[in-house]
Amino acid sequence: MKKLMFIVVGLAVLSLSIPAYAHFQMLYTPEIALEKGGTVDFKIVWTHPFADEHTMEMTTPKAFYVLSQRGEGKVKKTDLKGKLKPITWTGKANAARAYEASVKVRSMGDHVFCFVPGPYYDKHEEAWMQQITKTIVNVGGIPGNWAEPAGLETEIVPLDKPYALWTGNVFRGVVLSEGKPVPNCDIEVEYINHDILMDKNAFARSNYFEAPQDAFVTMTIKANANGEFSFGIPVAGWWGFAALGVGPEKEHKGEKFNADAVIWIKAVDMK
Amino acid sequence: MKGKFLGFALGLALAVFMATYAFAHTPLCSCYDNGDGTITCEGGFSDGSSAAGVVMRAVDSSGKVIIEGKMNEDSEFTFKKPGDDYTVIFDAGPGHAVEVPGSEITE
Repeated sequence: MKKLMFIVVGLAVLSLSIPAYAHFQMLYTPEIALEKGGTVDFKIVWTHPFADEHTMEMTTPKAFYVLSQRGEGKVKKTDLKGKLKPITWTGKANAARAYEASVKVRSMGDHVFCFVPGPYYDKHEEAWMQQITKTIVNVGGIPGNWAEPAGLETEIVPLDKPYALWTGNVFRGVVLSEGKPVPNCDIEVEYINHDILMDKNAFARSNYFEAPQDAFVTMTIKANANGEFSFGIPVAGWWGFAALGVGPEKEHKGEKFNADAVIWIKAVDMK
Repeated sequence: MKGKFLGFALGLALAVFMATYAFAHTPLCSCYDNGDGTITCEGGFSDGSSAAGVVMRAVDSSGKVIIEGKMNEDSEFTFKKPGDDYTVIFDAGPGHAVEVPGSEITE
């Protein structure tokens, strides 16, 4: 009887541990290295991009804006909060509230899009979560402020252009909290493992890749003593990096609060 | 043998130097129609350096210069749209020119 109890408890623990894939705030647009200016369509989804086993309900976003710079020119900030429209995003397991935005981008140079979601209460972890997210778009190949901090309370500042990576390149970044590097923090890395159906606001059902084991679904890497990390990119597509619990705010409504810093990169194959 | 090696090393150094030179300053220029009868071109270089002062020209189909000016301090140049058949030239010196056909300049 005791033995049976042990097995039951063991199985229960095991089954609970399975859905512990990383949460990722997506700030997705199909192309981030643009030849010319035009309309950039974003899908902003709170999900698990590799396994897609659960899409989470987003709360009202706090901020959405872009910092644009061409060459050594002035940095221009454009507020985009008014462009956000609620949508229903459909994943494999369920559908939940997400957002979309259509943004006109004309000037050559870098456009650092910053998204600050509203806090999300995670029942499993009994804690609030917020992933402050950056996606950097470039027009025409002129660099700008891609390597400059956006001034977010926590963020990942890239050391390699996130829009100009070949498959097999290394992507490096620095994790900052209130502008200072965060030594030895944990960074979760996930791949968007499905086609994104822009017209249907959904992930395609099929996966590109299968993970041999759980540790490959969400890869956890460490920043060094200077808050820097690097990651070799094995395949083309979208990769997200989330530095965990690095934000300065630690409590919200009397409970634990974790603010993560997220950045997205896109790698392309050499052909 | 030593000479051959030196030659090779020099050649390699030269090749590396030339490659660096060629790619460090790729000129870039993009133009759009403002929809009010004017065209704005913005320019720059692949290393992020400013294009302020770079000579800008628009030529007609026979190559005749119809508009000439310079990039302003924001690396921008705005001019009156000269009909449909024209080409904009961003001229940052020999080997550093970009041509933008008027037909590709849209809103």
